[in-house]
Amino acid sequence: MTPPVLYALCAAAIFGIAVYGLLSRPHLVRRLLALNMMGVAVFLLLVAFARRDPEVTDPVPHAMVLTGIVIAVSATAFGLALVRRLYRDTGRTGLSESRDP
Amino acid sequence: MSWHEWLAVPLLLSGAVFFLTGTIGLVRFPDTWSRLHAVTKADNVGLGLMVAGLASLSASAAVAFKLVLVWVLAMLAATFSCHLISRYSLRESERDDR
Amino acid sequence: MTEAFSWVFDGLLVIALVIVAARVVFTPVLFKAIVMFIVFGLLMAIAWGRLDAPHVALAEAAIGAGITGALLLAAYSDLVSVRRRRPHLRPRVRVLRRHAFFAASAALAFAALALVLLQVPAPESGAGTLAVANLDATGVAEGVTAVLLDFRAYDTLLEMAVLLLAVYGARAVLVTDSEPRPDPWPTEGRHGSMVAALVGVLAPLIVVTAGYLLWVGAYGPGGAFQAGAVLAALGVLLRLTGRLEPAAASSWPQRLVLVAGLIVFSLVGLATLFAGGTFLDYPEAWAYPLVLLIEIALTVSIALPLILLFSGSPGLATPAPEDRR
Repeated sequence: MTPPVLYALCAAAIFGIAVYGLLSRPHLVRRLLALNMMGVAVFLLLVAFARRDPEVTDPVPHAMVLTGIVIAVSATAFGLALVRRLYRDTGRTGLSESRDP
Repeated sequence: MSWHEWLAVPLLLSGAVFFLTGTIGLVRFPDTWSRLHAVTKADNVGLGLMVAGLASLSASAAVAFKLVLVWVLAMLAATFSCHLISRYSLRESERDDR
Repeated sequence: MTEAFSWVFDGLLVIALVIVAARVVFTPVLFKAIVMFIVFGLLMAIAWGRLDAPHVALAEAAIGAGITGALLLAAYSDLVSVRRRRPHLRPRVRVLRRHAFFAASAALAFAALALVLLQVPAPESGAGTLAVANLDATGVAEGVTAVLLDFRAYDTLLEMAVLLLAVYGARAVLVTDSEPRPDPWPTEGRHGSMVAALVGVLAPLIVVTAGYLLWVGAYGPGGAFQAGAVLAALGVLLRLTGRLEPAAASSWPQRLVLVAGLIVFSLVGLATLFAGGTFLDYPEAWAYPLVLLIEIALTVSIALPLILLFSGSPGLATPAPEDRR
């Protein structure tokens, strides 16, 4: 076991927790939080694997994660805008299941 | 051990003690204000001691200056966020009383 | 001895990350979940530092924890303050089977990931080795910046398009009703003069920091993303303290800044194409000035969309001098 492997396992655990949150929480902001955490877990996996060769740190995953962070914040902001609009129009913060008026 | 290290180790250790004290206060104190008091005061001193210890270990004056800058900015941020949080919770508690 | 200490540190950090992640998911109060998410981002920033990824640490602290946290809190205050109707409450039928299924899926995701990643063989030589070997051709001495703006410049170009798309998408979704909505952050006596004084001290420091991060990106941790995020944080502060106000439309300079990154990037790409090369393949002598030019444009084109997304308004304006506080 090396530190990158430890962090990769941590990423897997965070991913699992976030999957549960995404599925079990009806509130859309909670789902966005869970989605973000899934994203962070993937980033952590990429960066941890970039360190498996102890001599060189691979810059490519780092650059991809940087891009990913900006994409994640864009998507989150758009998602939050959708939630706010939904709340303004319907007073709800979750998607109703199969009994929409 | 060089004299740098003889200087740094007690500073770092006492800084850690202050952090520990502040954290215990954060966990154990009953209300927002005493928690804030514990965290902001003890941690600012703890961070200052840590910064002093690390600065005495640092290779150049530029690094030491940056470390001190970190401390000053962290104190500034702690002061203002403490102010905002305590004001907010004061207002909330007044609203609850009414 | 040192190694043992670093194991203890890594172990504690990993445990803290997992616990905070669980708190984000399981805490019943939304506000706590958001705060926990911000804490999670800050802990992640430490983890990035431990994994030799200072670029990512800077971006995570500024964007992942800072800007995302501000966006979440802004949305939260909107969801709490508007409150037209009571949220439609579903009868709380606790379907245990469903939750067991969710937990099983989560456990499956964890187990599958863990199993796979313990068995992935270490790469012999990947794109990273190639990138480090060809660093000289890019005019910058920093691998991550070289990858972002030279080797994989397409990614960054399209990322700017995504960011712009998010801004226009959010605008289309949010700005619909004709009635003017109250500013969620009225500055009148809200924060007092202390915060305004703090912003006065911090604003120049933040601008200098952003400039430093932009410049240092060529040979150290930093670059357009981090600089843009730091500038965006300044914009959020100014917006919160009333030095910037929402406007119903963006002015021409604002529109120009919004698209500057995309346009400069595309023009450079087209220029290299017409000069006989490939799209976005800079001639070696020009590589550094071109990268710097693109980075400057990217910085402002990352900062302004993030501020607009936080503000939730199509544009920004400075208040009239008499009601400036």
